[in-house]
Amino acid sequence: MDRKDYLKEPVNHIKINGTLTVDQLMQQFKNSGSLGAGRLAEACDIYEKMVREKDCTIFLALSGAVVPAGMRTLIVDLIRNHLIDVIVSTGACMVHDAIEAVGGHHYKGGWSVNDVELYKYHLFRIYDIFVPEEDYVRLDFKLSEMYADIAKERKGASLASNDFAYEIGKRLTDKNSILRAAYDENIPIFLPSVRDSEFGFIHWLHASQKDQNNVLLVDAFKDVPTICQICAKSPKNAMIVIGGGVPRNTIQSSALASKKGLDYAIVITLDRPETGGLSGSTLEETVSWGKMKGAADHVMVIGEALMVFPFIVASVRERLGDAFKRDSFLQREQLAGKGLT
Amino acid sequence: MSSDSEEFCGNCDSHNSYEYPTKVFCSTRYWHNENPIVDTLWHCDSYNKVSQECYCVKEAKKKADSTK
Repeated sequence: MDRKDYLKEPVNHIKINGTLTVDQLMQQFKNSGSLGAGRLAEACDIYEKMVREKDCTIFLALSGAVVPAGMRTLIVDLIRNHLIDVIVSTGACMVHDAIEAVGGHHYKGGWSVNDVELYKYHLFRIYDIFVPEEDYVRLDFKLSEMYADIAKERKGASLASNDFAYEIGKRLTDKNSILRAAYDENIPIFLPSVRDSEFGFIHWLHASQKDQNNVLLVDAFKDVPTICQICAKSPKNAMIVIGGGVPRNTIQSSALASKKGLDYAIVITLDRPETGGLSGSTLEETVSWGKMKGAADHVMVIGEALMVFPFIVASVRERLGDAFKRDSFLQREQLAGKGLT
Repeated sequence: MSSDSEEFCGNCDSHNSYEYPTKVFCSTRYWHNENPIVDTLWHCDSYNKVSQECYCVKEAKKKADSTK
């Protein structure tokens, strides 16, 4: 590059007035184009491209305290408006959703508290959020009934984790539930680490029950061909990651295994790359594996997802307007009876 | 006798909170296909002391006293 190529765009200063909308603020961030503001503005532009791109399948990776912190309704709205196509989640995120679906709550708390006292009161802490043990236990009780019911229907046949999420969603009546909304809208939810959550540990209770003849079987290996076929069939693939971990790796590895590579990627994380762990790994690193195309539009927003993701969604939805209807490749395929695989 | 040495479902290691502080969920009863929801201040022959005390018994007793 020539010297002048490094000096093409001057930083424009952020101008704020009293009537600024979210998207207008993002445009001001884009004028700056620097540091976190620049990355956030870029994430908005990339998400808009994903949504407007013809035949692009958008995978959303969920991990961490998405539901306890208050993003449940935001995710449900994305599902019901088909602004995402596939969810890959930790088991825990969907457990948090199911807790609220059966009447439980997460409570505003604090991080500087007496955790021994919380233990004695049967209150669990997720950083500065509290959840009563009884809300977990009530879900456990209901899940064990659902497990027996699903197993009876399946007559010994195992389920893939997306089938498991579908069956749980079918049995929840709360329209504000992520699992229920995904069931209603035919959006697959893959739970590659389903065992490492209350879904897994309550299975022990269910399976150990005296005279239990209908033990639920979930086979996580069954997910692999399904999610890889979605990537393979989709003309383009996009990924939005909240956090990282197993859900991010599942999407990236599916893009690799299907020989496609991601066309778009947004990662929102506070993790760092120096550990060599996946959650903080840079998106440039994923290019070396073939998980993302070298030419892909991508950005990593270093920040806490509860602050970042609602801005991205609000900005893009403002651009799209209420009348916008997305023509989803995956939904068209499914409506055409071609199924997921 | 203090609640530490008395045998109650609320200080048994099979209990989880169900309707704090008066009702607990008993995993042992669940495994045996018996109603797992029991009073905090009840106990059965399968009692096994918890490894780490909680406030269930103390608070259930307080509540029982206040409704007398």
